[in-house]
Amino acid sequence: MHIPDGFLNPEMCAITAAIVAPYAAYAFYKTRAIPKEKRAIIPVLASAIFAAQMLNWPIVGGTSLHFVGGALSGMLLGPWGGFTTMFLVLLVQCLVFHDGGITTLGANLLNMAVIDVLVGYAVYRLAPEKYKGVGAFLGAWAGITLAGVAAGVELGLSSYMPYGLSVTLPVMGFWHALLGIIEGLITMGVYSYLKSRAPYMLAGAAGGGVA
Amino acid sequence: MKRAWLFILLLVAVSPVFGVFLADMLGYHEPLDVAAEKLGLRDLTERTNWTPFLDYRVPGLPEWLGYIASGIIGVAIVAALGYLVARGGSE
Repeated sequence: MHIPDGFLNPEMCAITAAIVAPYAAYAFYKTRAIPKEKRAIIPVLASAIFAAQMLNWPIVGGTSLHFVGGALSGMLLGPWGGFTTMFLVLLVQCLVFHDGGITTLGANLLNMAVIDVLVGYAVYRLAPEKYKGVGAFLGAWAGITLAGVAAGVELGLSSYMPYGLSVTLPVMGFWHALLGIIEGLITMGVYSYLKSRAPYMLAGAAGGGVA
Repeated sequence: MKRAWLFILLLVAVSPVFGVFLADMLGYHEPLDVAAEKLGLRDLTERTNWTPFLDYRVPGLPEWLGYIASGIIGVAIVAALGYLVARGGSE
């Protein structure tokens, strides 16, 4: 889902960067207030997401996708710590590997570190205690789907074609809703594992404030 | 935590199977690229590139080994930055 340099017009690059910059500043500030023992998850989670994103899964029709992990970050660390985690992953991918453009870094952060994280976190938090596992699945599914749709909007509005959105929205929406099922299953699996082995890691768990 | 790091190493070790071999065999395409192609948008990555590690390769290494080396380099930098974040701030 990483938008490379060249896919977005300068206006879209500027708009997305202008949205993300103040959000990032606030998220970094709030991340500092997360209790230290909980913040210790950030290097491990960010590294795991970076590594997981290198595994591209084949799906039908020569299409592929990798795990994104924004929703999972939100569930574990809350929206601000989740942003910071995804920021580290996307920054290193962009600067060291040029995976995701530098002009499109704002858009990629908006999709994967803001939208995916916020949607995943919100759906998970709203799920009743008994159904948190299902909430993790649905949160990750909705997070990826909406992040994909957002990327579709950014691409569609950047196109010089008048029908840009009518091309990008169905393609991005349909595929990411499908791929979101895999993202949801992995997220639910990680969630269930952590809940049984390390419940203190989950956002909102006792002692693990999300600030 | 130790188990988590072992898991990350395992992911990096198997990553060329998915990121290189299967990708070459099946010709992967992300939905994003499909949409962009239909609109005639142009990927400028290669023309504007600044890094020797483009496409998770390392110059001089075979593709699969470069992919693993890239994974190790990437994880090391991400983890180092993550530790800086984890150390700062409130107690």
